[in-house]
Amino acid sequence: MKLPVWAWLALSSVAIPLANAATRPHYGGSLTVELSSAWTTLNESSALSIPITETLVRLNARGGIGPALAVAWQHDADFKRWRFSLRPKVTFHDGEPLNGASAAPSLLAALKKKYGDVSIQTGGQAIVIQSSEAMPDLLADLGAPRAAVFRQSEANPLIGTGPFRVIAWEPGRRLVVAAFDDYWGSRPYLDSIAIEFGSGHARADIFDIPAGPARRILPEGIATWSSSPRTLVAITVAITAVNAQAPGLLQALALVIDRAPIVNVLAQRKGEAAFSLLPQWLSGYAFLFQSAPDVPRAKQLVTQLQIGQLGLGPISLSYPANDAFLRSVAERIALNARDAGMAIQPTPGPLNNALNNPGGTLRLVEWQLESTDAAAELQRFGEPTQLDSSKPEALYQAERSLLDHVIPLVHLRETFGFTPRVHIQGSDPFALHLEDAWVQH
Amino acid sequence: MSFRAKVFLSIAATAVLSVWIVAAVVSTLVTRSFERRDAQRTASLVNQFQREFYRRGVEVARRIDAVADSDSIQRLALNLAGHADTSPYFSEAQTLAQEQSLDFLELVGPDATIISSAEWPARFGYKEDWLTATPDWKSQGVFLKKEDLADGEALGLITVRTVKAGEGLLYVAGGRRLDQEFLDSLPGAEGMRVRLYRVPGEAAPVDSDATVTTLPLRGRDNQLLATLLIENSRADLVALKKYIQGTAAIVGAAGVLLGLLLSFWTASRVTRPLRSLASSVREVAVGNWDTRATISSSDEIGQLARDFNGMTEQLVEQRDRMIQAERVAAWRELARRLAHELKNPLFPLQITIENLQRARDASPEQFDEVFRESTSTLLTELGHLKTIIGRFSDFAKMPAPQLEPVNVNQIAREVIQLFEAQLQAPGRPAVKATLQLAADAGEAPADPEQLRRALHNLVLNALDAMPHGGELVFRTSRHDNKVAIEISDDGEGLTPEECDRLFTPYYTTKQHGTGLGLAIVQSVVSDHKGTITVHSELGKGTTFRIELKA
Repeated sequence: MKLPVWAWLALSSVAIPLANAATRPHYGGSLTVELSSAWTTLNESSALSIPITETLVRLNARGGIGPALAVAWQHDADFKRWRFSLRPKVTFHDGEPLNGASAAPSLLAALKKKYGDVSIQTGGQAIVIQSSEAMPDLLADLGAPRAAVFRQSEANPLIGTGPFRVIAWEPGRRLVVAAFDDYWGSRPYLDSIAIEFGSGHARADIFDIPAGPARRILPEGIATWSSSPRTLVAITVAITAVNAQAPGLLQALALVIDRAPIVNVLAQRKGEAAFSLLPQWLSGYAFLFQSAPDVPRAKQLVTQLQIGQLGLGPISLSYPANDAFLRSVAERIALNARDAGMAIQPTPGPLNNALNNPGGTLRLVEWQLESTDAAAELQRFGEPTQLDSSKPEALYQAERSLLDHVIPLVHLRETFGFTPRVHIQGSDPFALHLEDAWVQH
Repeated sequence: MSFRAKVFLSIAATAVLSVWIVAAVVSTLVTRSFERRDAQRTASLVNQFQREFYRRGVEVARRIDAVADSDSIQRLALNLAGHADTSPYFSEAQTLAQEQSLDFLELVGPDATIISSAEWPARFGYKEDWLTATPDWKSQGVFLKKEDLADGEALGLITVRTVKAGEGLLYVAGGRRLDQEFLDSLPGAEGMRVRLYRVPGEAAPVDSDATVTTLPLRGRDNQLLATLLIENSRADLVALKKYIQGTAAIVGAAGVLLGLLLSFWTASRVTRPLRSLASSVREVAVGNWDTRATISSSDEIGQLARDFNGMTEQLVEQRDRMIQAERVAAWRELARRLAHELKNPLFPLQITIENLQRARDASPEQFDEVFRESTSTLLTELGHLKTIIGRFSDFAKMPAPQLEPVNVNQIAREVIQLFEAQLQAPGRPAVKATLQLAADAGEAPADPEQLRRALHNLVLNALDAMPHGGELVFRTSRHDNKVAIEISDDGEGLTPEECDRLFTPYYTTKQHGTGLGLAIVQSVVSDHKGTITVHSELGKGTTFRIELKA
């Protein structure tokens, strides 16, 4: 899959030179990282890339597909049978060699979520993936993080083949990884990385600067890096028999929300106003969804829908209880809605960022992109049909129908600050690759 | 109502009324005393509220001054002067409000746009036009203002300061809540409650068991923003009044009980001689004329007993004299009637005997014939004498009635049946007999023979009253446990004087009557413990009515 040229140009424009060309990389040293959010699994999607596992193929920032654990692949004419040749002399972190038999279980589990009758045959370094249905996007599927090849043991929850291996893992609190000396590629510069979750005190070498209203004055000398917009903040609602007014309700709410203050003030400009699920840099057509707030029209819709006369009371808008940014967004939306005569009650709720909202109430969610494949991301959003990323018209139509249940608000960037001793040699606009980072002694 | 009951009611009413009056007076005095106390406490609390209001106003002004003079506000003003982005100051108001312990704080730009709001952070970017409408905030001081919040409204002590920001002004508006917590900080007396009511125009919900004083709280434009409700609990007063009422009820009940005892004692003292006198009266009423009342005191009741004794003595004397006079009159009447009754048959007897003597002397040949005729006449007249004597004998020998259940309707039919032939006899003026017998007349204890005889006499009497014919009505009825029998005629009728003497023995208005018929009727009715009355009008007829106990 390839990104359009204009998307590549957009990505390039936000990339920052992270490494000082005059400084030579050094091996060794440890890096400390503080993240305000708490990872509860090792599969969290983040712009901070600490590769523990790898996939068969690799999606680059331009949407291109290159070899990773697989060095070659062929498919039949109708895309129902694929044959991959695994990279030789690759071992897992526990010393187990990578072959078809060791890679198949995690691959099969990942692929079965999309292809129900998929099967895998192995033989030495060869893997054959077959299904009764065509799998034209199999390479994109295998390049997604969820198709990573890994093993598990009682002592280690994630045994991959990546440049870093897990040393210590306390969900929600701490993760320590160390360089994997037997990595088949280039060894990371860093010896280890220690990540603390939920602190956000900016005392580490690298720390995230979350979007939100809290004004933070960064210490002197701290550099920042922001990803391309990769987290969607949106309102979702389910259309159920109980909530038959949902389409009109969403339409009125979408008309009354002023996204500019949310982006400029609440997100402190760490994002873009969102009118679509995919950001402009990924889809290329997001500008087609743009619209300006229209409070009189929203009032008219509210009157037509007789929302106030339904006797439902205030409409609940739930947000994750511990997310200050989303709480402030929810309060702002409630204030905007009041201008149109709609009563919305921000309500703290459990963390649930699924875009599929089976409940009847409005929910404020954050949705993170996992890849740079627009079709794959739309399918993650819930698009049921097979999409081809090279056909933007089909993507546009699919996204248009998905927007019936979702009001996009803002696409957030992920921003990190890092001290002067940290040097990151290689990065793309989508992720900050710590396997290419080194520290000055 | 008995005398005892009257005495009891008088004493009880006096006791209850006295207690009630005392209780009412005490309750009124207590209520007034409590009202004075409540008024003093309320005035004191209002003064305290006003002092605290002023003190907090001064404090709010001082804190807002501190905010306005803070470095961050000065930096913001500089940024505003340079038209820099103010979004980084989004949460500045919250920080400053926290530092100065303010409940409300808004930083508003020269164009009235909210830059930062502590009480409702989401309101940034909205307008606060009321701030720019007032040119000089220094002279406004602290005022009450209703603040919109995300979850409703709140009342605040607000003041505004301005900071020069280039050509325009940065408005710093903030203050503290005027809420129940503020009111709870006021030192109130026990039983007092201060509440803030923020819905003007509606009746404030107050405790029904409290006196409430209201104090309107007005804003900068004199609009009513809320009402301060000062409630003085009346629980103490209610408890005290209940105690007074309870005590009064107990005392009243004791008074009633005492009245009951006193009434028994007084009544027994007062009514004993009266009861004795009443007993004597009843004895006299039943014929014990020699009864005398006991004179036990020299008061009015004793005098009454003396007068009663004198009266009975006079009555006995008058009775004796009357009996004597009646006896004489009766003998005279008897003599007159006997003379009259016996005189009539004796005169034909004398004439007949004289005729016999003259026939024997003058014409012996016709003597036998005259003798036969004369003896026949003599026998007839002697029969009349015998009849007269028999009637007198019957009246004298009236037996005691043998009572048995008698169907009065049946008796009436039998009596009329006896007279049917006489009523329809040819050559006699027609008399129509009408029976109006009540179906429920039923039976009465009576001697059938004597009753039949009495009714027979009344029918005869009625027929005699209608020599030219007429209508005879026989009527029965039953009411009040009595059976009534009426016999009416539409004859000549009687005068009132005749009615008065009608039942006197030997009195008659007829030429050939003995005057014993109605006397016998009265005797029979009297022996049956019944009554007989007569109603008559001249020219319309006469009705006799007999009433017997059923």
